[in-house]
Amino acid sequence: MEYAVELRGITKRFGSNVANKQVDLKIRSGSIHGLLGENGAGKSTLMNVLYGLYKPEEGEIYLRGERHVIDSPLKAMELGIGMVHQHFMLARPLTVAENIMVGTKSKRGPLLDTRRVMREIQEVSDRYHLDVDPAIKIEALSVGQQQRVEILSAIYQGADILILDEPTAVLTPQEVQELFVILRKMREDGKSVILITHKLDEIMEIVDEISVLRDGEYVGSRVMGPDVTKDELTQMMVGREVLFDFSDAGTLTEPGKVKVALRDVHAKNTCGVEALRGISLELHEGEILGLAGVDGNGQKELAEVLTGLAKVSEGEMLYNEKPIQNRRPIDYINDKIAHVPEDRQTTGIAMNFSIKNNLIIKNHGAKRFKKGPVINYDVVNAYAEELMEQYHVKATGRNEIIKNLSGGNQQKIVLARELADEPEFLIASHPTRGLDIGASEYVRGQILAQRNKGVAVLLISADLEEILQLSDRIAVIYDGRITGILPRGASAEEIGYLMLDNQKKEAPHGNQEKEKSRV
Amino acid sequence: MATKKKKNLAYKLDKGLSRLLPALGTIALALLVGGIIIAISGNNPLEAYAQMFKGAFGSKSRISETLVKTVPLMLLALGVSVAFRSQIWNIGADGQFTIGAIFAICVTLYLPGENIFILLLSFVAAFVGGALWGGLSGFLKAKFNANEVITTLMLNYVAQYLLAYLIRGPLMDPNGGNNPQSASIPEAYRLPRFVSNLRVNYGIFIGLAVLIFIYYFWRSAYGYKLKLVGASNTVAKYAGLKVSGIVLFTMVLSGGIAGIAGWTEVFGAQYRLLDNISSGYGNLAIVVALLGNLRPIDIGIASFFFAALMSGGNAMQRMTEVPYSVVDIIQGLIIVFVICRTVGQSNGWKQWIAARRNARKAVTAGAAEEDGGEEDNG
Repeated sequence: MEYAVELRGITKRFGSNVANKQVDLKIRSGSIHGLLGENGAGKSTLMNVLYGLYKPEEGEIYLRGERHVIDSPLKAMELGIGMVHQHFMLARPLTVAENIMVGTKSKRGPLLDTRRVMREIQEVSDRYHLDVDPAIKIEALSVGQQQRVEILSAIYQGADILILDEPTAVLTPQEVQELFVILRKMREDGKSVILITHKLDEIMEIVDEISVLRDGEYVGSRVMGPDVTKDELTQMMVGREVLFDFSDAGTLTEPGKVKVALRDVHAKNTCGVEALRGISLELHEGEILGLAGVDGNGQKELAEVLTGLAKVSEGEMLYNEKPIQNRRPIDYINDKIAHVPEDRQTTGIAMNFSIKNNLIIKNHGAKRFKKGPVINYDVVNAYAEELMEQYHVKATGRNEIIKNLSGGNQQKIVLARELADEPEFLIASHPTRGLDIGASEYVRGQILAQRNKGVAVLLISADLEEILQLSDRIAVIYDGRITGILPRGASAEEIGYLMLDNQKKEAPHGNQEKEKSRV
Repeated sequence: MATKKKKNLAYKLDKGLSRLLPALGTIALALLVGGIIIAISGNNPLEAYAQMFKGAFGSKSRISETLVKTVPLMLLALGVSVAFRSQIWNIGADGQFTIGAIFAICVTLYLPGENIFILLLSFVAAFVGGALWGGLSGFLKAKFNANEVITTLMLNYVAQYLLAYLIRGPLMDPNGGNNPQSASIPEAYRLPRFVSNLRVNYGIFIGLAVLIFIYYFWRSAYGYKLKLVGASNTVAKYAGLKVSGIVLFTMVLSGGIAGIAGWTEVFGAQYRLLDNISSGYGNLAIVVALLGNLRPIDIGIASFFFAALMSGGNAMQRMTEVPYSVVDIIQGLIIVFVICRTVGQSNGWKQWIAARRNARKAVTAGAAEEDGGEEDNG
């Protein structure tokens, strides 16, 4: 059997950190291959080696039986390898066609060959049911559509090996299904697809084979069949058994008194468009209120008005029965409102700061951290060490610059900081986005522990599974309004339907399966 | 992977070297290219550099001159480093220096009596003058988001011409012939010298005091806030800081220190106001601050080096055929190399290239910039 891709003994180091250790990987032609592993397991690194972004210290790459040295993405593209990164590389003010034309040669010399390219894009788009209009500007597209543009771009540039890095992370359940239709079509055409993921559930139904990496090492591969279970793969990935079920991790005895109340809250986003259009909610002590919704429906603004980062234009917010709208951000912090922000890399952490300095961004003025006016780094160091240990942060030390950490470890730092000062109200926006199973489990456990301590928790997440696992009640937001509040135990289907309120979409499918797979 | 490295001597040494080597490399490269230029002009570069060295350190009086130049340069560089650390590009040190000097001299010339309080008051006035000048730009930036590069630069000219007017008008020395200069300060106010015939004076202590102040400032909660604003406005806001207030404060402090530099120059070296009293130290201070990686101690060393270059350059011009312009060239080369280095360290251009290749992330191995100021506290 010929392999589309064969990696032999790939070793990639970053300084003293070994990201890939003698990894072997075989991808059969015309198959969909899942590359599974926790965050920091070395999946993305390995694929970046294949894509020519990283140069491995050791190892060989064979494509269709022939050895190649891939030293640049350009070379990779020439060899028919395409990659869709987690963060899309699209110029937002340009059209789909213009974005795809970047990096291709025009047949008209110095002049652009827009019309021909547009026609060809349309052809590819139709063939793979991508439903992409080449003339539309990127900024007008949803995340799911942008992803399709990236896929389209790769196919257009001749990729027959397509690497997708965490493709489902940003999609709604419905969009995931649409993506799978496209991937199946590619497989029919004999193309090979590699899906990098740490979310087993989402790819189980589509992959032909799964390979697992753990701590930079190749653990094994399984050709999918009835004998391959989720438990087995999870165990390969984590190296131990994992408890998925949080349902009895402390049940809600009785909701406490109302901690936070929103009455018809309106707010504008940074572009001046009304993003919240009359939100009314109540949140009790010792309760997790899950806020489900497709990204960009006002979740970010809601978190911002609750922390003073955005202004309320109309309506009232009560905290401990006192109005709290439109104060300074510091007032909310002093009121013990903790906030795990949606975008940790631009809001939650200062990327060029060390771990310890990121841990004190909110409380560096506290007496215990100071000796006179000077920050007492002996105390800060001890504080940082303690939190890093408590939260199992993987790093070379407290002085490591935080941008060198994996996303999961960065998020642990944010969480450690936000929970350290005993909050009374926790706003967690996508707290486990980009985190591996182990870390997600830990973070969710922490959130539940906060709830059990009597903290009121607003859990904002696009991850339905997370919402279903943790929430005592579930509110659904769509277009700046709450479209419904459901009790614990609501089905993903119900929520999914509310999430797409007003949108004439066909009923979601495939979610029942998801429900069951929650073990 | 999770092993925690204990800080030991080797680690610290390594860290110190990693800071020192790029700076030394930059200087060496600039001297090398400068040497080639001297050679092209038909002179012996070794001879020229030898004269330059002798001119800077050859005798007591040469060392004294070098130190005299070090003080204002160091203070100005410390001043701009405060702003640069918070990513505010204060290039108006010259103007802040000048206003500080004007404020100080007005206090001594116009307030009655001759006593220590007037002297102290003049010091405060110099700080206030510089702080006002810097703070004006800070206010405009905080309030209207006006670009500080433009406002500080423009205010340099305002200060320069204000000085030119004052020393030809209201502040002109009545007994100074028709020279454009102010009356000199009373002799009692002059900063004491170590040796009567050498110009080096107690201004050095003021420079060192400010250096130590800035060193601890970066370890204080206030310094931390400035660095956080410099790291990211978004994060700073999220952390509950009032970014506009900190921007204003940064410029006040940055300008104030430049004002102090003006004070030491008047009370330690010139004793009066003259045209262009800042002698372009302000622009040089930017280079010194960058060469010193915006760290106070490194800045101290870098300013001494630049002062040596200046006083040595004068001697070199006198003793050889090589013109002083070579010093300007070397300074220019250092600017170029420092910029190359900063660009090389930043991820921006790599990301730009990587983005063009449709890549997600550039490899940033070894290029990590640190947030500084806290590296010595392990």
